[in-house]
Amino acid sequence: MITQVPHPVLEVHDLTVSYDQQPVLWNVDLSLPAGQLIGILGPNGAGKSTLIKSIMGLIPPTSGYIKIFDKALPEVRSRISYVPQRESVDWNFPASVLDVVVMGTYGKLGLFRRPGKKEVQVAQEALEQVGMTAFANRQISELSGGQQQRVFIARALAQQADLYLMDEPFAGVDMATETAIFQLLQDMARAGKTVLVVHHDIHSAMNFFEWVIMLNLHLVASGPKDKVMTEELLRKTYGGKLNLLTQVTDLIRKQDFNPLKS
Amino acid sequence: MEDFLYFFTFQDPSITWVVMGITLLGIGSAYVGTFSFLDKKALLGDAISHAVLPGICLGFVLAGEKDPRYIVTGAFLSGALATFLSSWLKQNTKLSEDSIIASILSVFFGIGIVALTAIQKSGNPEVAGLNSFIFGNAIGIAEADLFLYGGLSLAIMLVLSLFLKEFRLMVFDPGFGKAIGFPMKGIRFVFNVLLILAVVIGIQAIGVVLMAALLITPGAAARFWTDRLQPLLLLAAFFSILSGILGTYISFVLPQMPTGPWVVVFLSLIALLSFIFSPKSGLIRRFLARRSYLNKTHRDHLMKALFKAKEAKRELLTLEEIRALYPFHKKEIEHSLQVLTKQGLVLQDPQGVRLSPQGTSDAMRIVRLHRLWEVYLNESMNIAPDHVHESAEQMEHLLTPELEALLEQRLNYPTLDPHQETIPRESHDA
Repeated sequence: MITQVPHPVLEVHDLTVSYDQQPVLWNVDLSLPAGQLIGILGPNGAGKSTLIKSIMGLIPPTSGYIKIFDKALPEVRSRISYVPQRESVDWNFPASVLDVVVMGTYGKLGLFRRPGKKEVQVAQEALEQVGMTAFANRQISELSGGQQQRVFIARALAQQADLYLMDEPFAGVDMATETAIFQLLQDMARAGKTVLVVHHDIHSAMNFFEWVIMLNLHLVASGPKDKVMTEELLRKTYGGKLNLLTQVTDLIRKQDFNPLKS
Repeated sequence: MEDFLYFFTFQDPSITWVVMGITLLGIGSAYVGTFSFLDKKALLGDAISHAVLPGICLGFVLAGEKDPRYIVTGAFLSGALATFLSSWLKQNTKLSEDSIIASILSVFFGIGIVALTAIQKSGNPEVAGLNSFIFGNAIGIAEADLFLYGGLSLAIMLVLSLFLKEFRLMVFDPGFGKAIGFPMKGIRFVFNVLLILAVVIGIQAIGVVLMAALLITPGAAARFWTDRLQPLLLLAAFFSILSGILGTYISFVLPQMPTGPWVVVFLSLIALLSFIFSPKSGLIRRFLARRSYLNKTHRDHLMKALFKAKEAKRELLTLEEIRALYPFHKKEIEHSLQVLTKQGLVLQDPQGVRLSPQGTSDAMRIVRLHRLWEVYLNESMNIAPDHVHESAEQMEHLLTPELEALLEQRLNYPTLDPHQETIPRESHDA
């Protein structure tokens, strides 16, 4: 159940990705429409974060390619914004909330130029959107998990992009914050932005996403929520390990080289 | 005292030069070192500083004398080789980072010592000063050398201020940096060059063995005082300069004393003082916070006892009764009684001790929190009634008014706790 769209915002073509020669994503081939709130669902270790990181160019693909706005990543980088997993950074780093959000403007600033008044203003507006204005001067280690997550989203907003890729923005976030963030993301989608979110909870996915991608080492489904959120596809995504694929993965890992590399 | 005045009034131009040199060196190494400390790569600095020794020897052999240009170049190349090897090994083997760094440190340093011994046996009369590279000798630096070391320090500071934003990103979130298209590998490369340079400029004054301390300790000590990057860098530089100058002074007064170890002694002292006196996480601060919390628990217990007496229709307790209740905390209870009396929460007269109206209300709140928490544990967490008291004994001192309101709401204003005791509330609340 894979729906392809004409003039996609994002086209992933036959993408295979390996970590140290162990394939973690097999032949993902999908295209995504603009202006939608899109969820990536799947069990632990299904390759959800890997997909996002490959789109962002953080992991080189073993084979296949990705086109964004019909172009290669380096040409359109300034139109893409990325929210890494919250645990990927050390929150004891000596910085204020505002310092972190200003980092969202670094991409447009380029190397060596210091952020000035304009950048601070952009950051403050982003903080306002996520309701964190009062925390601007707070040391980041003093924030709760949900607040840290909102800081990361604010940093992404400060990038002023058209495509947003968010890796587990709801991990460790309380219900009220989750709903608030979802509403913000829906507003962004309505304003024409495309928002791609790695997500865990099927229940809230049902409520908020318009388009859903289901992964379990391979692409199970990609399409409008109503068409793909079926019992059968959910069972395919979450139901047990893919025994055969896992065995093949092990086989490849034991080779002295990566046979999938093109 | 004479020495002290002579040194610190800078009558001797050579002292002025040395102090200027050590100041520049301190700033440079503290800046770079603070980033490396924040990046949790402190050991790499240590490995590099040991690894420059073979390069120093090579530079000496090639120049045939202690020419700082040769020595600095040799040291830099050997440090660069060590840095490159450590990242190459990390990428191409399954060895853990700490074993890689430990092996590089010992292999390079071993080779360096062998080379140094061989040179010393060669009978070259210039050899005498070479030993100072092990533990450092700031006083022995010639004026001409200072221009080289000082110039390199200035270069480090310049590049670092140019790359401030990039290095911040490299340490905090390199993945994000890569995602926005910054050449993170190149930035890391520039940083590693600065790190090696920071080691190299310190070898004459501090010595290869202890240079890592000058890199890491200032930042680590300054971290106790501030949560912001820029003040952190400035404070680290200040600590570094201070101990650098003091260490140099010792070397001046006692010419046998190597500078490096003394700088490290002063740095460690600063770090220790920071650890003790830091206003947010220092030992004293934590000790005081704990003591004030313990005092509060004693006061709370005393008020609870008076409130429970009231529940049993006794308006007051005699001093003897109170003391008998807490046989192991006589002094604390005595102190609590004084404080509560002063605060007007407790009234004392010859017959005994009773709660004031305000005291009654405060005590009622403690008992209420205790019993509410017991209900919560029992009802929401399915904990048996005879297992809830211990936890409630702790939570009664901690729960905030907001949490109290939330508990009341969740539990729907219960009237009895799991032991069938009334949960007390102000009459106007009911």
